[in-house]
Amino acid sequence: MRSNQDLQMSATTIVGYTNLSRDQGFPIKAVHHVSADRAHEVLGLETRNLSRCVAGKLLLDSISVQVPPGEVLAVVGPSGAGKSSFLRLLNRLDEPTGGSVLLNGEDYREIAPRELRRRVGMVMQTAFLFPGTVAANISFGPRQHGETLTADHIAVLLDRVGLPGYQDRDVSNLSGGEAQRVSVARTLANAPAALLLDEPTSALDEASARGIEELLLGITQERRMTCVIVTHNRLQAARIASRTMVLEAGRLVTIGPTKEVLHAC
Amino acid sequence: MLADLLNNLSSNLTTGLVQAAGAIVLCVAVVVACRRFAVHVEREAAVAIARGLVQMVFVGVVLALLLHGSLLVGGLILLAMTIAAALTAARRAPDIDGSVLLSFWAIAAGSGAVIAGMLAIGMLQTSITMLVPVGSMIIANAMNACAQAAERFRSDVTAHVGQVEAGLALGADPAVTVAPYVQSAVYASLLPRLDMLKSLGLVWIPGVMAGMMVSGANPVYAGIYQFIIVVMILTASGIAGLIMTLLMRARAFTPAAQLTWSRG
Repeated sequence: MRSNQDLQMSATTIVGYTNLSRDQGFPIKAVHHVSADRAHEVLGLETRNLSRCVAGKLLLDSISVQVPPGEVLAVVGPSGAGKSSFLRLLNRLDEPTGGSVLLNGEDYREIAPRELRRRVGMVMQTAFLFPGTVAANISFGPRQHGETLTADHIAVLLDRVGLPGYQDRDVSNLSGGEAQRVSVARTLANAPAALLLDEPTSALDEASARGIEELLLGITQERRMTCVIVTHNRLQAARIASRTMVLEAGRLVTIGPTKEVLHAC
Repeated sequence: MLADLLNNLSSNLTTGLVQAAGAIVLCVAVVVACRRFAVHVEREAAVAIARGLVQMVFVGVVLALLLHGSLLVGGLILLAMTIAAALTAARRAPDIDGSVLLSFWAIAAGSGAVIAGMLAIGMLQTSITMLVPVGSMIIANAMNACAQAAERFRSDVTAHVGQVEAGLALGADPAVTVAPYVQSAVYASLLPRLDMLKSLGLVWIPGVMAGMMVSGANPVYAGIYQFIIVVMILTASGIAGLIMTLLMRARAFTPAAQLTWSRG
């Protein structure tokens, strides 16, 4: 296993817009390398009166939460409680209709959405891999920011998610668990400072789910990565998260140390 | 002008009515045959025949009057056709804000550019009798391409919301996340026109060539001119389909790069 430092990007690039090539139908920007190190960012998240209302229906009602750097926060609650809506607001896939999100104290509306999403990575319930090879999927994120991943970087990421040698595999031949691991590696390739996980194991069998769970736990601990995980599985919340918040009907019911919260509910 | 029209009408009216009566008799025979198999379309067929005859006579009279008009009248007719085409194409994207306007710009850009180009290089005469029929063919095909592109793009994007949002979540530009669906929409809108060009003369002899031959034009020249018209139709369709797709792409995302269309 390569060192954790290897996981971090060691090269950034300047985008050259003159040449466009294609890979599996998705345009790829031509890039030029310049050497520079991207230091691992420590990121704290805070929501202030975060609300979202769609067509008169209140999905989230004035949620105020702080997630200090390196903390893993679980979000639990019944279906329709607003868990996924909350997560989507954190990297601005949806727009808040009230309140805001602060990244290290900075209102995220001041940050370009594309840069925000690089810094706050998201793993969805379903992997939603792009057609093509595993390597092309992992390279996708950095490419959008004018960076190229070397073969070594891709190998390190695949090692880390337990899929060594999978670079040239076509994603259509992966199992659900493997696809979700590639999805995690694809998100990590952007070197995010915070990770949002939207029920990343709910579509997997028990063995695959535990494998992904251990992987995520290891990654968040070793990188001291701020993490918000939505889960309907309270045992999973207990295994992963130091604090847990409970949502019901879009409202924050309680938040606190996971054991206390889950014991009280 | 009206006197000329009436003269033409009187000389051709008898022939036309006899031919129409012959066509109606054949149609009635089919209706009677259907009735023997308990397929009752008598009333519907009678209404359709009556409406069709009245409408076509009316259109004929209107066209006969308009075709004696000026270039300005011709331009106005094409504009009216473009508006009607936009209203029709917009039905394929009913829940897109401003879909009528998007369709109008796409069809106007495609057909307008081609008609203007044809006029500029003398491929199309400014006489209203040439401008309106050829222009209407180009507008109609641009409309179809526009509608097909709109429908395909919307259905592809809404069927792949997960992939699109996965791309956005990785920090991709919205245009990158829907690039495959732009390609497929434009291609789908062009496919019928490409097939039309491939099968030209083999599977069908389109109306322009048939009309020119009936009116005594050299068949070879009529064929070449028909080819030119179909190529121009393909060009207008390509422009209309591409512009419609790009305009819809712009409407699919907010300024903060959020997909506004929900899963289909």
